[in-house]
Amino acid sequence: MIDFSADLYDPIYAVLGVPATLTIGTAGEIALTVIDKTRSKTQTSGGVETSSVGPGAYARIPELTANGIAVGECIGAVLTFNGRSWIVREAPVQGSPNGEDLGEVRFLLMKAAG
Amino acid sequence: MVDVREDILARLLVVVATIPNIRSAYRNNLNIDETELPAAIVLDGDEETNDATDLSMRPAHRPTVVQFMPEIIIADQADLVGSNLSVMRRELIKRVLFDTALNDQIVKTGRNGNGAIRYLGCQTDVGWMRSLHGALKAQFLFKYSMRPEEL
Repeated sequence: MIDFSADLYDPIYAVLGVPATLTIGTAGEIALTVIDKTRSKTQTSGGVETSSVGPGAYARIPELTANGIAVGECIGAVLTFNGRSWIVREAPVQGSPNGEDLGEVRFLLMKAAG
Repeated sequence: MVDVREDILARLLVVVATIPNIRSAYRNNLNIDETELPAAIVLDGDEETNDATDLSMRPAHRPTVVQFMPEIIIADQADLVGSNLSVMRRELIKRVLFDTALNDQIVKTGRNGNGAIRYLGCQTDVGWMRSLHGALKAQFLFKYSMRPEEL
């Protein structure tokens, strides 16, 4: 069986990953490696198209698990990476051929207050 | 030359620019950036008459009543974007319906003529971007007399 963690995620995160800090309530900060998936995004309302960004990041679920964090706990947490801090508003699991627990979570982010 | 339709649109742009906290006001600009928010955009709207059913002997160049329906978009991004849009909607409606230039000089409502200004309603739309994005599209109706000899 192919080990996607070793053959796929390890090299990808080694190249594209950036250091991040996840702060969950009073549980304190944990260090993570994330891949910045912030992309341009537009919203069309009433014929008017507004350009902005859809902030997002990928993280590996085994890394969360190793820190004793469940994916569901991440919603509302503050994620800091690449010089900006965001609030995790959703955290859909992305799955992997070896099972979702060995895959990624996609953090959908929103601007932190202040 | 008197072009009431154009005068209404030009005045609406001035009016929406006075809404508190509006950062940018445009006419028919369909592509804006988040740095321009909160924004108000006046869209040239449709107009119609009842002349399709008027088969009388009335000369073609006689005045007719036009019902003109421009649209105004208000967009913003904020955690409490719904509340922001409510405030701006309130200010928009007040400023259009009470505007002296629109009522007295352009559309000529009440004692000034047979024109009318009505707020027809609005639609809202929200979605996630850097923060919560919201937009409100408001419709107004302007009834005015179009005088072909003045065009």
